[in-house]
Amino acid sequence: MFIALRDNGKRYKIYIPRESNPVIDGNEQEIDFIEQEDFQYTFEWNGKRFHCELVARDQNKATVHVNGVEYKFSLESIFSYIRKGMISDAEDKNTSVQIKAPMPGKIIDIFLDEGDLVNVGEPILTLEAMKMQNEITADCNGVIQKIRVNHEQSVMKDELLVEIQSIDV
Amino acid sequence: MKKRLLIANRSEIAIRIIRSAHKMGMYAIVFQSDKEPDALYLKFADEIIDAHDADDEKPIFLNPNKIVAFALEHEVDLIHPGYGFLSENPDFVALCISKKLNFIGPSPELIRDMGLKTVAKKMAIEAGLPLVPGSEGPVADVLAAKEYAASIGYPVILKASAGGGGRGMRIVENSETIERNFKSAYDEALAAFGNGDIFIEKYLQNPKHLEFQILGDKHGNVIHLGERECSLQRKHQKIIEEAPSASVTETMRKEMGTMAVRFAQKIGYYSAGTIEFIMDEDGSYYFMEMNTRIQVEHPVTEMITGVDLVDWQIRIALDEVLTLKQEDIIIKGWAIECRVNAEDPQNRFTPQTGFIDKIQFPQDASIRIETGFLSGSMVTPYFDSMIAKIIVHGESRSKVINKTMEALNKFNIIGIKTTAPFCKAVLQHPYFKDASYTTRWVDLVYSPEMLEDPDDEMIGALAATIMYASEYLQLQGDIPAYENDALNVWVLNKRLNY
Repeated sequence: MFIALRDNGKRYKIYIPRESNPVIDGNEQEIDFIEQEDFQYTFEWNGKRFHCELVARDQNKATVHVNGVEYKFSLESIFSYIRKGMISDAEDKNTSVQIKAPMPGKIIDIFLDEGDLVNVGEPILTLEAMKMQNEITADCNGVIQKIRVNHEQSVMKDELLVEIQSIDV
Repeated sequence: MKKRLLIANRSEIAIRIIRSAHKMGMYAIVFQSDKEPDALYLKFADEIIDAHDADDEKPIFLNPNKIVAFALEHEVDLIHPGYGFLSENPDFVALCISKKLNFIGPSPELIRDMGLKTVAKKMAIEAGLPLVPGSEGPVADVLAAKEYAASIGYPVILKASAGGGGRGMRIVENSETIERNFKSAYDEALAAFGNGDIFIEKYLQNPKHLEFQILGDKHGNVIHLGERECSLQRKHQKIIEEAPSASVTETMRKEMGTMAVRFAQKIGYYSAGTIEFIMDEDGSYYFMEMNTRIQVEHPVTEMITGVDLVDWQIRIALDEVLTLKQEDIIIKGWAIECRVNAEDPQNRFTPQTGFIDKIQFPQDASIRIETGFLSGSMVTPYFDSMIAKIIVHGESRSKVINKTMEALNKFNIIGIKTTAPFCKAVLQHPYFKDASYTTRWVDLVYSPEMLEDPDDEMIGALAATIMYASEYLQLQGDIPAYENDALNVWVLNKRLNY
């Protein structure tokens, strides 16, 4: 996952998964890749064509022309983004989000590992309670920092399940 | 034997004239300038004259003696000047005539008279055309200027008598600054035109620019082909033109058209010409000047009238009678022209030069593309910045606005920034849609943020990310939770589908 920050402050979280469409700010977008040449891409999305040309690169800064209009971005991988975030708001310290058990039950399945990227709404684990299976989903975008429970483990209400290093401000 | 027509011009207008020449069974000859030796227009000509102008101070198109010498050497019958360059240079025309070359355009006397604004205005008064309140002729000095400005009221505009293109022009808001402005306008005019005469006019703060196309022959027949509105300008130069104008009623069209014809007849005008008016916010209009050349925006008139103006220019030069009557001119639908200039609309319209990596135009029966460039062409700093004109015809104004937007969305150019996104921003703006826009739109309304689009921005972020990510991954090697080849797999998958 990468963060593209525009010079006007607008920020995009972009995840390009294997064999599926790119996920931008948590939403999968049906973007078609039409053409690629050196520093030039053409996309199609919502019936519109987007002709992109990379016109300047300076380290992690990129200037792109999209349909003839210039946009400037600075780019970070999520890891350097989080690292920078941790340095800059050291006193704020906690960008860590805790996912707690909404009810007592048993952990049936865990879908992700520590270090995995997660988007808002993405299922992390299944909690069985009163014969019902409940998917526990992420309520922020980020990286799974710590999984506090094991398979088949029984948990109390409000017991800590997972910690996510959030990239949402 | 085929008549030999020499085009003393380049780019799209050269191609446009070649088209007419071929239609009329003529042999089209062009110059190859060393400043632009691979230009597209060369491919359309029947004969190319190597101008050898690399060491000349000016390109061939601005060199009257050299053009005429080549014309004689190559046994040319007619010379078409296009627009700009020497098209309104009376000395060049006189030189052509003295060498028995048929210049396609009016007489040198007419060009000279219309080029001197004070003379043109005097003739307009005689023909009964309304004029913006102003000094009859140049003002003697600063003191006279001050007195006169006080009598018509501020703001006023100072203009060089021999001027054009905004040079020697100053807007003066009040009496405190008139002295300084008068002096600088005078100096600028003297330097640019060798003539420091300045006249004063009342300044219309928020006007529209309207112009009537006329055609006249050498036998006294003159007609008009309706108006064009060219209010959308930047730096006093037009970017979008439309015909007809939503601000001209049928009654006004008749009234202004009759005036334009009367004026042309009065001065004995022949060839194609344009009579420019300025219209105030209250709808009152005034004669501005007459252009004695074919204009860049002539296609919008051609599209709504079906009349080929360049053909007629040539036929009139051959002494033919203008067989079109005023009642033959029927305006059908609406047309818009967008000029695609190599300029950066995000950065005060700075000229752009360099290679055009790719250029793709929309294609449709109702779209006319006039261009002198293709993929791989070079935009040089030696000539004007216009790359193409996209002209669209439609049934009504609102329909043609939508069609023009579609056309601009399909237009693609890579390698150089242009005014195409600017044209899109204009077409989408409420003041353009309701036709209330004026020549001040760029000053009063425009900001570069209007060019931005949220969809473009998001896709731009994706493109930047892909480019960054592919390098980043190469450098980082294996990183947790990120498959090294994921990106390439997506790209590859997507590409295989096409």
